[in-house]
Amino acid sequence: MAFLKMEGVSKFFPGVIANKNVSLEVDQGEILALLGENGAGKTTLMNILYGLYSADEGEIYINDKKVFFSSPRKAIKAGIGMVHQHFMLVQTLTVLQNIILGLKPKGYPFIDYKKITNQIKLLSNKYGLAIDVYKRISELSVGEQQRVEILKSLYREAKLLIFDEPTAVLTPQETDEFFDILQKLKEEGHAIIIITHRMSEIMQVSDRVTILRDGKNVVSLKTNETNPHELSLYMIGRELKDDTTKNDVKTKGELLLSIKNVTLKEKSETKLNHINLNIHRGEIIGIAGVDGNGQNELANIIAGIRKCDDGEIVFSGESINKRTVLERFNRGIAYVPDDRHKDGLVMDLDVSHNLMMRSYKKEPFSKHLVLNRQSIIKMADNAIKTYSIKTPNTTTDVKLLSGGNQQKVILARELYENPELIVVSQPTRGLDIGATENVRMLLSEMRNSNKSVLLISADLEEVLILSDQIAVMFGGQIVGIMNNDENLDMQKLGALMGGHLDQPSDVQEQGILMGSHLKEVSKQG
Amino acid sequence: MIKNHAKIKNNMLNILVIISIVLIVATLLVMAANKSPIKAYQAFLFGIFGTLNGFVEIFVKSTPLIFAGLGIAVAFKSGFFNIGAEGQLYMGAIGAAATSIFLTGVPGPLRLILSIIVAFVFGGLWALIPGILKVKFNISEIITTIMFNYIAINITALVVRGVLKEPGEYLPQSPMIEKAARLPELLPPTRLHAGFLIALLMVFFMWFIMHKTTIGYELHVVGLNKNAAKCTGISVMKNIIISAFLSGGLAGLAGMGEVLGIQFRLLDGISGGNGYTAILVALLGFNHPIGVLVSAIGFAALQVGSNTMQRQLGIPASIILIILGLVVLLILAKDMFFKERKITINTVKEGGE
Repeated sequence: MAFLKMEGVSKFFPGVIANKNVSLEVDQGEILALLGENGAGKTTLMNILYGLYSADEGEIYINDKKVFFSSPRKAIKAGIGMVHQHFMLVQTLTVLQNIILGLKPKGYPFIDYKKITNQIKLLSNKYGLAIDVYKRISELSVGEQQRVEILKSLYREAKLLIFDEPTAVLTPQETDEFFDILQKLKEEGHAIIIITHRMSEIMQVSDRVTILRDGKNVVSLKTNETNPHELSLYMIGRELKDDTTKNDVKTKGELLLSIKNVTLKEKSETKLNHINLNIHRGEIIGIAGVDGNGQNELANIIAGIRKCDDGEIVFSGESINKRTVLERFNRGIAYVPDDRHKDGLVMDLDVSHNLMMRSYKKEPFSKHLVLNRQSIIKMADNAIKTYSIKTPNTTTDVKLLSGGNQQKVILARELYENPELIVVSQPTRGLDIGATENVRMLLSEMRNSNKSVLLISADLEEVLILSDQIAVMFGGQIVGIMNNDENLDMQKLGALMGGHLDQPSDVQEQGILMGSHLKEVSKQG
Repeated sequence: MIKNHAKIKNNMLNILVIISIVLIVATLLVMAANKSPIKAYQAFLFGIFGTLNGFVEIFVKSTPLIFAGLGIAVAFKSGFFNIGAEGQLYMGAIGAAATSIFLTGVPGPLRLILSIIVAFVFGGLWALIPGILKVKFNISEIITTIMFNYIAINITALVVRGVLKEPGEYLPQSPMIEKAARLPELLPPTRLHAGFLIALLMVFFMWFIMHKTTIGYELHVVGLNKNAAKCTGISVMKNIIISAFLSGGLAGLAGMGEVLGIQFRLLDGISGGNGYTAILVALLGFNHPIGVLVSAIGFAALQVGSNTMQRQLGIPASIILIILGLVVLLILAKDMFFKERKITINTVKEGGE
């Protein structure tokens, strides 16, 4: 008798089948991994379970009792807790306030904070979720925020916990700590569903795997009876190509971009602290680090969106400190921002109008301020072919395209004028495996044709796969630069990402563990 | 910029629903005024189609709405929420009046052209100040443009009692502008004047600018996503300044038309709220120049019809204000409805992850 059973669940959206006849079950004291590409229907399925959507077909049973959740409130009441990929926390409130948010504890509106604090402390001791309940969320690290989310669910007496891509934003050390917490939850008899597409994690923590593809159940397997290769075959239904190889030519090209002692301050906060970085032709420099340690600011000062307060940026032998975004682009610096929707695209404009954003001022696209629609459409048609962008036509709004195709639109636009250097931030975030492969291949091609790439990614796997050199950012500083070859010291890399600059001994041990599993990952590609 | 057919069809359906609701409410209102709805509608239609004078009056009344509506539309398109068309209209009116009254040495037609240019510049500069305040100091243009309305209206009140006052007269108004410097009449004895033609010209001009040039493209991008504009090197500052100046200039032309085509002098309160009505005109016209033209003529027709209703049956023309309020409410409600549908489409796309 499983704790949760979903049987034959289907969900149809106009024109899209999100789930078709999906079944899964998870028992108490069991960790189920839900695996699938983007668009495979994982999130929809979990949203149905959490009461955000209602299923068009199929049944949900909890402890063999048929249930129907019309809202998350009802799902929570039935013992279901969800930790979203983007945390649902109020930044300006304290941990305590966030945990009881929306509840009416006994005595409401006069709340016995002391009692609640004790209850939370009991919970956090039991599960090893150390946290200061009086701190504001904005003061917490990402890993700590995740703990708050877990505590929030536990406080609501969740018996089933759903984690959506829980490790996407964690450092390797935080990831290990998170896995420890998962084990504790499991031992205490919770049922756990974890949504992920990282093979290594599935192998490491889950008991069973259920794989979805195109909204349908493919298979359910016991983790110890399968292997990553088999899982990825089930997930994508074909073999993966391994095209992203590192640069074999070990000699560096000439120096292309040189960042000298650059500092950026914002509202008296130092965002970039004396950054020094050189990028040569024919190399990919990967910036590793946890999100929010100055990577975005670094990309911005190179692209010219923000101007540095101190220091100098030299591109092809010319100081470009005073150059505008457009002037830098015309000199050969292209930029792919991390947030496609916010910074990369105009969602309400069509494909052609997004593709022309960089080049509309140049002939043949315009002359004496007047646009030449015909040549724009021609360019757009070409881009769609060259980058195999899946869109009905050039006049479809980009918001109607999938994430991967939106990213291709940005890349097509940025690569149109053959830049010398492309700064890419989280280039494959939210993309499925096929699209990810595609994007990584484009970046490799850039390098192989003697151009340069600055790759910023919170996904360490990606940095390891693509980069020739890895620079680690922490707290607005570059805390280390190392060659990405067989001598790469993984424990040092992990420690630097976590801000452990002096490497105390316990961190080293953790680093060894983490290092070994990441090495394996980087080889699998 | 490009709409698909389903969207247009949906829009049409929405407009039909809105018209039906408006008709029902209007009927109830007329009945509340204790008049016969049938007679009221007869009078309404007679006002619009019954006489040449009445019919032409629609185009007379639509002229300032087209100018100011175009101005607001271009501002809204680029994300500059200009609520100050009324004030910019007054500044344009002052500019036109001052030019044609003070430059008596300049021959009539040349003086007319100068007046038009000065009106545009006056209106444009009046909107430029809030524009600069927004881009330099991040001060909300919604607040500043509204405040600038009061200032402009009261500057007008000041000058018609001061430097521009008709000598030896009691009323707060400027002297008459001589015939040679006025906008030519088009269809005497009706009040239709060349301002309407200029307005049509501006509709075409703005359509061309917004949809066929790099200027319009930049304005669109800045209006839809300032971050993406910054990241691709499109200057947000420059474009907001351009849109503010264009917007105010067009509103200034509305004031010019009233001075040189209708009143032939500057008066206290010469606009009577056209600058505010123009906001509705722009909203109803989806901020598209052609849409503005159509909705401005529609609004003008409503005004003309309801005025006749008032004259013939004594039904207060203020009913039309209620109707206008209702129309705006319904249009906004429709937008909300649209937004909701958009969200569902998005969740479908992203929900599959």
